[in-house]
Formats: sequence, structure tokens, C-alpha cells
Amino acid sequence: MKKLLLALGAALLATVPAAAQSDYPTRPITVIVPFAAGGPTDTVTRIVGEHMSRTLGQQLVVENVVGAGGTTASTRAMRATPDGYTIITGHMGTHAASVGLYPKLAYDPRKDFEPIGLIAGTPILILAKKDFPAKDLKEFIAYVKANGSKLNEAHAGVGSVSFTTCLLLNHLLGVKPTLIPFTGTGPSMNALVAGQVDYMCDQIVNAVPQVQAGTIKAYAVATPQRNPALPDVPTTVEAGLPDYQTSAWNALFAPKGTPKPILDKLSAALDKALSDETVRKRLLDLGSDIPEGKARGQEALAAHVKAEIDKWTPIIKAAGIEAK
Amino acid sequence: MTQAGETAAERPPLFGFIRNPQDFFGALALVVFSVIAYWASSDLPGMHGIQFGPGTAPRLFIGLLIFVSLGIMLHAVIVTGPKLERFAIRGPLFVTAAVFVFAATIRSLGLIPSSFLLVVVSSMATPEMRWLETIVWGAILAAFCAVLFPYALNLPMPLWPGY
Amino acid sequence: MEELFHNLALGFSVAAHPTNLGLCLLGALVGTLIGVLPGIGPTATIAMLLPITFGLPPVGALIMLAGIYYGAMYGGSTTAILVNIPGEAASVVTTLDGFQMAKQGRAGAALAIAALGSFFAGCVATVVVAALGKPLTSVALQFGPAEYFSLMVLGMVFAVVLAKGSVPKAITMILVGLILSMVGTDIETGQTRMTFGIIELSDGIGFVGLAMGVFGFSEIMRNLEVAEQRELVQKKVTGLMPTRKDIRDATPAVIRGTLLGSLLGILPGGGTILSAFGSYTLEKKIAKDPSRFGKGAIEGVAGPESANNAASQTSFIPLLTLGIPPNAVMALMVGAMTIHGIVPGPQVMTKQPDLFWGLVASMWLGNLMLVIINLPLVGLWVRLLRVPYRLLFPMILVFCCIGIYTLNNTPFDVVMTGLFGLLGYWFIKHDLEPAPMLLGFVLGPLMEENLRRAMLLARGDATVFLTRPISAGLIALSAILLIVAVLPMIRGKRDEVFVE
Repeated sequence: MKKLLLALGAALLATVPAAAQSDYPTRPITVIVPFAAGGPTDTVTRIVGEHMSRTLGQQLVVENVVGAGGTTASTRAMRATPDGYTIITGHMGTHAASVGLYPKLAYDPRKDFEPIGLIAGTPILILAKKDFPAKDLKEFIAYVKANGSKLNEAHAGVGSVSFTTCLLLNHLLGVKPTLIPFTGTGPSMNALVAGQVDYMCDQIVNAVPQVQAGTIKAYAVATPQRNPALPDVPTTVEAGLPDYQTSAWNALFAPKGTPKPILDKLSAALDKALSDETVRKRLLDLGSDIPEGKARGQEALAAHVKAEIDKWTPIIKAAGIEAK
Repeated sequence: MTQAGETAAERPPLFGFIRNPQDFFGALALVVFSVIAYWASSDLPGMHGIQFGPGTAPRLFIGLLIFVSLGIMLHAVIVTGPKLERFAIRGPLFVTAAVFVFAATIRSLGLIPSSFLLVVVSSMATPEMRWLETIVWGAILAAFCAVLFPYALNLPMPLWPGY
Repeated sequence: MEELFHNLALGFSVAAHPTNLGLCLLGALVGTLIGVLPGIGPTATIAMLLPITFGLPPVGALIMLAGIYYGAMYGGSTTAILVNIPGEAASVVTTLDGFQMAKQGRAGAALAIAALGSFFAGCVATVVVAALGKPLTSVALQFGPAEYFSLMVLGMVFAVVLAKGSVPKAITMILVGLILSMVGTDIETGQTRMTFGIIELSDGIGFVGLAMGVFGFSEIMRNLEVAEQRELVQKKVTGLMPTRKDIRDATPAVIRGTLLGSLLGILPGGGTILSAFGSYTLEKKIAKDPSRFGKGAIEGVAGPESANNAASQTSFIPLLTLGIPPNAVMALMVGAMTIHGIVPGPQVMTKQPDLFWGLVASMWLGNLMLVIINLPLVGLWVRLLRVPYRLLFPMILVFCCIGIYTLNNTPFDVVMTGLFGLLGYWFIKHDLEPAPMLLGFVLGPLMEENLRRAMLLARGDATVFLTRPISAGLIALSAILLIVAVLPMIRGKRDEVFVE
């Protein structure tokens, strides 16, 4: 017993690493995911993380830190030692919409993080219940405008992707439906399938099976190109609402002050992962948009974050929503 | 809460009119809890028109709790019931302290030292504790957890300080 | 009927494939381990095992994940019986009589009955999923916010009825649970409520920490006080297996629990926990001597455990037939499916019959494996109780604290659990029961959310709860149950007054 314990102790002591910077990474890298395991952000991170681990020669360990719409995790990542051993998957909510939603936000996504690169985006669909009386997006717009607050719009909680993206839709159409809050995309989708609510906006990955089965209707996808998962659904450009362009993007960030060579190494590993056939196939199966060429990398992400904040803040402020 | 209870048990004359001190002081503390909760929720908007506000439900339930608790207190004055039980100090003190020590050290010291500390401090909760046995037991448990959680269950966590 | 047999045969041919059989066993084993370790729930486990399943074939991956799920559900009741720590919400009920049985030296009987009852429930529920999955789905879709609210009201009434002691004290505890459940972010406005500006509280108080504190930690504190009694418990352990009388008493409870659980399980959100509480209430109400409940009545373990297991099985129905995950674990299953390129939805049944029926068949096999794994373990668990308490309780604390910490990787949760331990100790001293509080805590958010949703949808018309037939029926049932529960108390009071 004693011997065993001694051996065990020695083995554990051996895992204490020597500090080394030049040959980064020398130990596992923690990737903080601000949402629960199994969700879209988590899945996307794990898919690219697995490939990046192979490139970098060290394991990328996913740590799910949930809470306050992902801002708890982002705050923790901001305060982590900027040595490249703690990075975070940020998304539309944590690194853009949060600025408008949380006036007391502890971090500024533009200043407190070093961008590594965009991973993938999930397009947003405009969805309605099965017997919604409109056959295309034009009729949908006319009907929503005519009925206003008589209609019920479901969302998955204040600050969620479905909440924010539908805020933009309502803002563009100038309508104020009655907002019915749910906790998570599952319950809100359930209510839409059951016909308890009229319409909602949601990520394509959640809606594909329902649209295919005809239990709900999809009017348009909010991207420039049609999505291979639902080739029959027109884009908002085709259907006559070109201003409605939005997707739930995910991206990797490091805390401010992480050395440039380390950032470059991570960016390169991410770029390689996004070019890998298996990774691409997995992401496309989820209905994701993969950034190509110039849309990848650090500068593109920095610009994207800035543009997104400028886009969402006024809309959220105008809607009078503020989480304290 | 605890102190109020014990004083009552030791000095029955002052609270002699209470026939069921266990319920009386229990309900009294619930009233105190309600008042704190009411204060905490007082900044929340209530009903606006037909819609519930964030503060509606909490205040509704807080009000009900005060009402029922006062009822129990009244009942405790009229109908005889059990006396207050004595509160032990040693057990709760060391158990809670051990848990807090673990919470304070898990991030900085890592899993092995902090679970060892947890075992040692919590063992002091009982007079049956034996130092040598506790230290050996602490080491065994810490080693076991160090293998079980990060490796067998794949839950990432630091084992030692600085890692 | 013939089609059903054909489908089940297909399912068994898939599930009985050696690889899938092995994965099912592995899942059930890991699940049991996870369930027995307090704090680490099935959600965390599936999350960490998700990457492992990347390399497995989709059917195998799902069979393994499902195995973990019900393995963990079952393992949770082991800790509830042995050390009074409910691993998940539904096993709160199991602590009431299960832990009392353990104290009387009948832990073996309680564990064995839980295993056998769960197995029976699992068998029946598998058939329910296979035969009635489709029609039950349409029933579940009939449940809108108004119906859910009324169902939650019924749940609260269960909590009053199951209380051991005085009804008013049970009501206060439910209210405390409701108030605690409202800490956090308001779903409609996004405002934080009663968080005292603490950011960790903005998502509310965690169930596991609260349950572990008020049940487990406070039980340790109380045990440390009464040294002599403890020795007694440890020496008194009698037979490992239930006696013939135990089985005779438990069988009807198992059957009733199974039926109740199979029905309630299809309702996403609260179905599982309501079935366990509902079964306990039912057993207590129809028992010849209700006073035995809370003091180690075997029906109080057998009924809820069967209900709980049946419900966790039938809770797969919304996922399998609609593709909509009803709870966090199911959401993870969806994640697992999408990673494997299967899009769960209404068409899974027709497009991928091997997957659908393979999973259904593996549920039955998984339950069989759980019995095979757990019956021999009963002896081991009971022996664990003989470890001197001065060594046992630090061990419980270590596992609990690490488990709690791993939930969100934050020390804050550990501190909260410690504070809830003190609160629970104080509850014991004032004879306030924590079980109704936990039910209030779990159902509170569902009740408030659905109330507000229903009022929003009805544009403020409160009569919606009485004009919708299902909702009205549930409200009426609640009212009847409440009157039945309160009447004897009022009568009792009158007697008291006359005596004086």
C-alpha cells in the first residue's frame, strides 16, 4: 500500500510542468465554452478542438462554464493568465450582443480579448407554426405588420440567439409582437410545433428536422446563399428582406496580452482544422457556414466583432431590453 | 436564530407563554427570512397592466409565507409542543469550515492538497478523531480522487498548486 | 400488433449485436458509477463522454449514452438510500423512507427493492415507448402553458400530502422553496432577482448544492451528535435481500408507480420528479396505516423508484417522435446525434428504423444489465455503511465537494452547499422537512414561467386555467386532494380543542 502511494505521489509530482514559452504548447490548453456541453457552441468547439489538438501536439480541454448568458465565462477568460493556455470560444451573444444587453458588463469584447479566428456560423431561419396563414416571406411580412401585438413570438430566453435575432427582424419590420419567453430552444420549438405560438427565429440546426417533416414552416434563411441542409428555403435576399442578414457565429479568443507568436500558432491550427475535410463535413452537417479565405484569421475576427457590436447595440437599446 | 433559540431554552420564564418553542422560533426565523427576501425583491417591478412583473410572484409567495408563519407562531403560543433541541457546535462548525477550506483552496492549491485538508479539518468534527489515522486516510482519499476524477472521469482540474 | 413485434425484433437484432451489447453494459456501468458519486450528474457525464463517442457508430454511441443516463438515474437512488443524498430531483422522495430503512439496518432490502422495482418499470416502459410512443406524443402536445401551470399546482399539493408532520409547516417549506427558486434572472425581462449583486447567483441557486446541503451535510452534522445511535445502526444490518413480506408489500406499489411514471414521463419538464412525488403521495393515501410513511415503509421506496425509472424511460418519447429534447440530458443526446449526422426529428422512426428500434430495445437490455450490475453491489454498499463513521463522513464530504465543484468549476457552489448544510441542520432542529422545500424549489420556476406564459398568451384572462379542459381537470384534482389532506387536520384540531 505504502509503496503504491509513494509511486502515485511521484507520478503526480512529475506532471507539474516546467515553465517554458518558446516551444508552446507544452501542456494541455483549456478552452472555456460559455455554454452547456452538447449545445451548438460546445459541439463546434469540440469538432475543431479535436483537430487542433493534433496540430498543436497538446490536448485542447473543453471546460464548460455556464451562467449569465455566457458572460460569466467570458469574464473569467478575460482575467486568465495570457499565456495561451486558456482560450475561450466566444459567440454572437458573449462578444457582441452582451455589450448592449448588460450595462455592467465586466469586459469589452473589442479591447479585452485578442482574436484568434472565426470558427463557424449557424444561419438563422424565420419560422412559423404549421398553419400560419402566409405562403411566402412577402405574405408573412404583410400579415405580421397587419396583426402586430396580436401575434405571439417565442424566444429561448432574454439574450439568447433566438431572442436577439428576432429582435432585429421585428426592428426591421417595425412590429411589436407579444414576446413569449421560454427556457431554451427545445421548449420554444415544442410550443411552435404545438401551435401555441405564431412565429420565431432560430438556428438552422434546431429547425431542419421539423421543417423537413412539415411540422413547422420556414420562410427564409438570413444568409446571402441558400443552405444545403434546406435547399428549398429561399434566402432573405431572394424573398425580399435583404437587410435581414444574421448568423450565430462562434470564434476563438485569447485574453488580452497573449504573445503574438502564440496567437499565430493558434490561428494557424484553427485554419488548418477548418480546411480539413472531416471537420468541414461535420460542421456542414450541422448546417454551419464555414468562413473562407479572408474571412478567417485574427484581423477578420477583430473587424467582425466591431461590426457586430455596432449592429446589435442600437437595436437592443431601442427595444428597451436591459439585463441588470 | 441559533442564539435566540438557546437563550429561550435556558431561560424559560421570559418566554414562558410559548407552549411550543420549537415551532415558535422556527416560524419566527421564517418571518425574518421573508422580510430579508422582501427587502431583496423590493426593487423589482410588480404588475404592469395585465402582465406579471418580475417582482409579482416573489412578493406573492413572500406574503403567503409571512401569513402562514405568523399562523404557526400563534398556534405555538396556544398549543403545547416539543421544546427546543440543543444545537451542537463542534460538528456543524468543523464540517462547514472544512467545506469552506476546500472551496478556498481548490483553485489555488489544486485537488490533492485541498481534498487532504478537507478530510483533516472535517475529521476534527468528531471527538473520536485520531491524528495518525486521519492523516493516512486523508492521503488515501486524496490519491484516490486524483486518479478517479481527472483520469477515470476525464474531468479537467488542477492537481497541484500552479498547474 | 404484428408490426410492433416485427419492429421489436428488428430492435433486438440491432441491440444484441455484440458491440452494442458491450457499449450498453459500459454505459450502464459508467452511469452507475456516476450516479453513486454525489454531485456528478448525468449531464456532466454525458458531456465529458461526448467526445469519446465521436469514434463510435451512431447507434452504438446513442445506446451507450442512454445506458449512462438510466444508469445514473438508478445510481442516484443508491446514495439517497445509503447516505441521504439525493443525486437528482426525483430521488428526493427515495430519501424519505429509503434512508430510514437504512437506519433500521434494512439498506439491503431498500436497495434490492429499488433495483427490482426499477427493472419491472423499465420493462413496462419500454413496451409503452414502443407501442404507444406516437399517440402519447399528441397528448404531450396538448399541454400548453395553462396545462403545465395546473400540473405544477397539483405537484405542490403532492408536496403537502407527503409531509410527515404538520400541514402548515409543510406549506411554509414549499413557500421557502418557491422563494429560493426565484433567485436568479427573470425569464421575461432578464432582470436579476434577489441576487444581492452576486454574479454567481444570476443563474439561480443550483439544485444539487441545495439538495446535498439540506439533506446530506445536515445529516452528517446530526449524526455527529448522536454517537450511540450511530453504532446501533451500523451493527444492526440484517439480511441483504428483501423478505417475502417486503416483496408482497412492495409489488402493488411497483405496479402503480410504473403506470403513473409511464404517463407522466412524456411531459417534458418536471415529468420525472412529479411521477416520483405523485407515486409517494398515492401510496401514502391508499395505505392502511399512512403513519408508517417516513419511518421506513418499503412502499415509499418501491413506488417512487419504479415511477422515476418508468418516467425516465418514457421521457425519451418526445425526443424520439418529435426530435425535441425535453431536458438537458436529452439535449445532449441530440448533440450526440447531430455530431453523428443523424438529425433527430419526426422522421427518425421511419427513416432510421434500426436506430429508433435499436435504442428502444437497448433500453430493456440496459435495465437488465442494471439489475445484474446492482444486485451484487448491494452487499458492497451495505458493507460500506460498516466503515467507522469517523472515516465514512470525511469520505462523503470529499466526494460531495469535488462533485459540486465539477458542476460549474466554481468554488462558489461549494460555499453555497456548506451554507445550505447549516440551514438543513437548523431545519432538523425545528422539525421542518426539507422534502417539500425541494419540490417547491424544483417546480417553482416551471410554475411561475408557465403561469406568466399562459397569462401572456391569454392576454391576461385568468379564466384560461378553468376553460381549458385538461387544465380544469388538473385544478379540480388538486382541490380534491388538498381538501382530503386538510380535512383530517381540521377535524384533529377540533378534537384537541375539545380535550382542552
